[in-house]
Amino acid sequence: MNRELQDLIARAEERFLADGDLKLLESYVASIPERLATYRILRDRELTMVQAVADGASEALPGVAEADLKKALQGLLLVVRYCAMGILTDDENLLKQRLLGWLEQVSGPDTKKANEVIYKLFNQQVRQHLSEGQMNLLQPFITTAQVTLIY
Amino acid sequence: MISVAELIQGDRVPGNYFDYPSYVRGELEMGLLENRRGDRLLAVPDTLISALYEALAKETGQAARLVLFNCGKWWGKSFYTRFTEWLTEYYGMPVAEMEMQLFGLCLQECWRTHGWGRFELDMAHQERGFLVVKTRNSPYAKPLPKMNQPSCYLEAGVLASFFSRLAGRELTAVQIACESMGADRNEFVLGLPERLKPASAGVEEGLDREAIWSRLLG
Repeated sequence: MNRELQDLIARAEERFLADGDLKLLESYVASIPERLATYRILRDRELTMVQAVADGASEALPGVAEADLKKALQGLLLVVRYCAMGILTDDENLLKQRLLGWLEQVSGPDTKKANEVIYKLFNQQVRQHLSEGQMNLLQPFITTAQVTLIY
Repeated sequence: MISVAELIQGDRVPGNYFDYPSYVRGELEMGLLENRRGDRLLAVPDTLISALYEALAKETGQAARLVLFNCGKWWGKSFYTRFTEWLTEYYGMPVAEMEMQLFGLCLQECWRTHGWGRFELDMAHQERGFLVVKTRNSPYAKPLPKMNQPSCYLEAGVLASFFSRLAGRELTAVQIACESMGADRNEFVLGLPERLKPASAGVEEGLDREAIWSRLLG
């Protein structure tokens, strides 16, 4: 759950929530249906989307070893799963704190090159499967992943 | 043609096995700490480590370092067995088939998640037959009294035993820098006992790490 909401819950004995606090909670609650729908799409179409990325990447990167490509795709699968959970719980730090540091360390120079193509293809895939509102939920996570794993 | 379905093990995509929130589990009411596999974890306070050092020094005098080193070797032996079991089960492949980079990262994360400080495996002198392990914020160095030579014998024993099993040859570990002496890290050199004799002698003579390295590589 997002940090601000967690802090509010942790301070239950200190004070009642002010109107501004409640608005924060209301806005999260109102966004839950869209979050659930995005989560379901990512869960149910994970294989379809990532397989399309794998096929495109194999064609676009003939010089990259299959092992490096597989490593990068496995990283993408993890990123998608952490993004889905982060969207559901409105927690942008989940991906950054729990996964990206690890993936960055596991990646070699060739994985970085593969990631460049893989994330380009993945962005094309999600645009086909998600609505604009759902894209808005996913995009900050994907941008963070790209910044860490490519640049 | 890569099959993405084959990259998923069951429903799981393996990531960082030692990710702290996933790895450490606890039952406060039962007073239990467990890892993600259900193996018991033990929280050891600094006071206990200090007391252990003091009691051993009083009871065994100069032999304390050997006792700690041998305890470390026992610990390292079991640790290696468990560590390789965990990784084999989680990543679905025997450790022998794992990339060294992944193995080293897992060891680094394992060290940190268990609260043993930061771990770094340095392979720069591998061709000369030496492996170097650097640890920082070690809970085994912190409780040591101010020493005139590196004294993390327990950790040295763990590392000697762990890497002996990994290499399939009997290795030993000599510590050449220690946080208890004001160094920014603990540095252990691992290699065949014969090759490390100059390092042990250098430590006994009170040489610093640079001087010991010149002897080893000279």
